[in-house]
Amino acid sequence: MSDAEPQPRLSREQEQALIVGAEAGDPAACRTLVEAFLPAIANLARAYYRGIGVEQKELMQEGVAGLLFAAQRYDTGLDTPFWPYAAFWVRKAMQELVAELSRPVALSDRAVRGLAQIRAARREHLRAHGAEPTDVELSQATGLTPAQVESLLATERPSRSFEEPLTPDDGSTVTLGDVIIDPVAEREYELVLDEIEIREVRDLADQLDERERVVVKAHYGLGRPTQTLGEIGATLGLTAERARQIEVGALTKLRSALAHPALQ
Amino acid sequence: MSAEATAMRHSALVYESRDEYVDRAVAFLREGLDAGEGAVVGNTRSGLAAVREALGPDAARVTFIDVGAAYTRPARTFAAYHKVYAEEFKKAASVRVISDVQYGPEPAEWDMWMGYEALMNHAFAHLPTWAMCSYNANGLPDPLLETVWRTHPEVGTGTTWTKSDHFEEPTQLLRRITPLPEPLPGLRSISSGRGPEALRENLARELKADGVTEAKTLDMLIAVTEIATNAEAHGGGVKDVRLGRANGRFVCEIVDRGNGFDDPTAGYLPPRTGIGRGLWVARQLTWRIDFFRLPQGFTARIWL
Repeated sequence: MSDAEPQPRLSREQEQALIVGAEAGDPAACRTLVEAFLPAIANLARAYYRGIGVEQKELMQEGVAGLLFAAQRYDTGLDTPFWPYAAFWVRKAMQELVAELSRPVALSDRAVRGLAQIRAARREHLRAHGAEPTDVELSQATGLTPAQVESLLATERPSRSFEEPLTPDDGSTVTLGDVIIDPVAEREYELVLDEIEIREVRDLADQLDERERVVVKAHYGLGRPTQTLGEIGATLGLTAERARQIEVGALTKLRSALAHPALQ
Repeated sequence: MSAEATAMRHSALVYESRDEYVDRAVAFLREGLDAGEGAVVGNTRSGLAAVREALGPDAARVTFIDVGAAYTRPARTFAAYHKVYAEEFKKAASVRVISDVQYGPEPAEWDMWMGYEALMNHAFAHLPTWAMCSYNANGLPDPLLETVWRTHPEVGTGTTWTKSDHFEEPTQLLRRITPLPEPLPGLRSISSGRGPEALRENLARELKADGVTEAKTLDMLIAVTEIATNAEAHGGGVKDVRLGRANGRFVCEIVDRGNGFDDPTAGYLPPRTGIGRGLWVARQLTWRIDFFRLPQGFTARIWL
């Protein structure tokens, strides 16, 4: 299988800038990087999609997660271009999903009982509400944790053959393979992009109280014009020296937060 | 060479199959649980699912870590485990950890993670823990499997534990694999100002002009403050500050007037008595920091 070299849509400099931005959690950089490599991710997903019980969209999402993980690890000083490096993590992420969802599972007695509870709760929910329950609702009904519900449901997911009839009851000869949507379709891209969960940008400033944040951001021009400590103090009704003390306290707080917990 | 006697036991488990891994991991964790120890397992999601299933009800007493999120850079991986240990030691007097290191496809990166394994011998040496690193013999290239013996005092294969005759003193290994930093002629000097506050002001202007995000600017300001404070305290003061772009990253070099230090573990060991927090903090906030000597002075090269 080829790693499906992406079209050269990005120059080396553009690619580096996007990787650095994505590594820093910049949502715009993440999105642009993903858009640039989505065709290549789709080509890898196509190989896994055939004959396994995993949806294409799920594979694409795992692939995107793999790409963003690669961006967090990729050293832009390497001679290796980004995609050959990232393809390893994209493929690994997809393999993980496939292994998780389609592995042959020998369930313990406890797991079998858990599954029976979930099935009963689902039937009851369908009877009462006429709709499929969510994992959270199943968790509440069974007393299992949401993670347990998710894990147990994954073990129950049936494998689907690429050649199996799509609607076996009506005598149709149309197979699953016949209706696979072209993975390079723009609509698919948008579906995946819409569901990317960009990790939250880690912003140290969130750990400061409001006054500390105002002083630090204003003094160093973070998202606003730069001000002297005298100007900041005047705005807050404080002396410049007091503003300086607040800044020193804020930086000390951040330093401590990063150094803790201390384990002797 | 043998490892120094430490509170920590650092071992490698080389396994041939998923089933063998699960059997060994479950036995290792259960033995710890039975002795009242904390138990942690780090693996990929499917690996965790297999261990969880095999543990049955005991899984509720084990902490599971998705290594896909924890292994981005060694400094951040140490920080992640540092937090895990802090939580575990609230519940138990000693802790067992079995974890799969995540190696990528790039040989140039393998050295970095081999360095991580070497550093592990020092990073948590003071803690009563048994850290077992698991390696898939059928999934990793031979050169990587060979490094297992260099970075772990003992290695388990099959049912036997073997003391490694190839264990390399960690700082020696780290010096051997750390490449000499290349010159970055594109960097330009800026005024360091008078004291850390003026340095931060000058640096913030440059970062803003370069388009660095707010969050990363604050990261860099704090990291540079730590390095500059070190330079003032131990290096005779800041002599030069250079900055610019290299390999797509913002780089800042702090050059001091002292002789510097030759410690490849600097900034990787969690802060504790006798080990400062400055370089640890700086490494958490940045992509990489290189320390090296130049004719101009001892240099800390900070990559954002």
